[in-house]
Amino acid sequence: MDTLDIALPQMAVLYGLCLAPWLLLWLIGLRLSRDIVISILRMGVQLALVGFYLKTLFSLNEPWLNALWILVMLAVADLSILQRAGLKLRFFVLPTFIAIALSTLFATFYLVVLVIQPPHFYDARYIVPLAGMILGNCLQGNVIALERFYSTLRKNEQEYMTFLLLGATRWEAVRPYYRVAVKAAVSPSIASMSTMGLVSLPGMMTGQILGGSEPWVAVKYQIAIMICIFTSTTLACVINLKLSLRNAFNAYDVLKDEVMELRK
Amino acid sequence: MPTCFGMMANSGTIMTYPTMPAIIRFDQVTVTVRDKTILSGISFTLRLGEKAVLCGKSGSGKSTVLKTLLGLQGLTGGSIFFQEKPLDAVTIQAVRRQTAYIGQEPVLGADTVRDALLLPFQFKAHRGHKPTDGQLKAVLAQLHLPAAILDQESGRISGGEKQRVALARGLLLGKNLYLLDEVTSALDSESKQAVFAVFADPKLTVLSVAHDPEWLERCDRVLALEEGRLTQEACHGHA
Repeated sequence: MDTLDIALPQMAVLYGLCLAPWLLLWLIGLRLSRDIVISILRMGVQLALVGFYLKTLFSLNEPWLNALWILVMLAVADLSILQRAGLKLRFFVLPTFIAIALSTLFATFYLVVLVIQPPHFYDARYIVPLAGMILGNCLQGNVIALERFYSTLRKNEQEYMTFLLLGATRWEAVRPYYRVAVKAAVSPSIASMSTMGLVSLPGMMTGQILGGSEPWVAVKYQIAIMICIFTSTTLACVINLKLSLRNAFNAYDVLKDEVMELRK
Repeated sequence: MPTCFGMMANSGTIMTYPTMPAIIRFDQVTVTVRDKTILSGISFTLRLGEKAVLCGKSGSGKSTVLKTLLGLQGLTGGSIFFQEKPLDAVTIQAVRRQTAYIGQEPVLGADTVRDALLLPFQFKAHRGHKPTDGQLKAVLAQLHLPAAILDQESGRISGGEKQRVALARGLLLGKNLYLLDEVTSALDSESKQAVFAVFADPKLTVLSVAHDPEWLERCDRVLALEEGRLTQEACHGHA
């Protein structure tokens, strides 16, 4: 069964739905009209571009083009993680890229090659959306891990220095904050798995069902993607924090002042 | 009348230190932070067993001297030598292994006092040397602390008790260089005497920051700082 297309007049009707929240926000005195209009327009333009790219990508299905697209996604995710975590690019851009690339590619290819097994492992129809979903969630986890780790460390700098003076190595001294940060980063995906299907129907599963898949197929894909998200987020956070330690401290194991962006 | 920490010969006269090996040597140390000079051309030598005190007004750079030695504050000029080796990424590990730093409000880093005392023995450097309960109680008694404090929450004990617990931790680790920041400021007379007794040990070298006249009186040397400069160096009983 094919999914029913939404014709352009119906799309206009859909945008009309935004009038209700816009009116409500205006009535309670929130002047958000500009933000709402810009966000809706941006969403439309960005998704139209992605739709165009994906259509081209799927029709060409060239391995190098697929790889390039994933590389672009990784680079954008890398920059976005550091910007949102408030950390300086020059210290963290490489460790973050290595961590998210390794973990995302590992989880995606594990899923595609060993589980889904399409005729070609580089099939854009599989690797591009799956890598995108895995990376998107991995991004959230890494923002939490980096932000939590470096802000907790800065806040507890005296305690960290005490550990060093008591004979701890740099790694031993940061370990309590490392554990807290990794736990904070992976907890949402653990909680999400435990409530899946009870609190909400997951987006990917809904999309597949609307796209004409059998509910059982959609359920299996959803389980697969959740396991991959959990695996890649955990791997990326553990690797990223560990690699970042090399650049963030001076030779005397003191956290460099300049690693964090000054928050406005 | 307080007696000096200094090494007492059998005759009761104070021995001098120049023959003892140098533990710390500051050579024209300068520290500038955001265009502000914190230390300016500081030079002094601290020898094995010596007890020195840095004094001066607030902001004169006393605490920075301690921080530079621990590698917590970078130098703008000059050099620091530890056991005649220049301070670098390798020697700093030796400094930290041998040094106990006890600040005005030490961080104990664990929930209970017992956990705080045992904390360093979780680290690879001290694993396998975990002290017994008897040893913990003995070192606490030495510092005039009751054994019952072991099970108290470390966040609920007083500042003076925290300082002595931190000192007890240094003693358990066998540290021989002590960097002390106002370590007697929050102590009653009896506890102070206990701390004085600990540092009467000639094997322990001390570089301290203090205003307490009794402490100053007991130290072998007083290094007076003014706006980051060493303005006066006095040796008790050596003049």
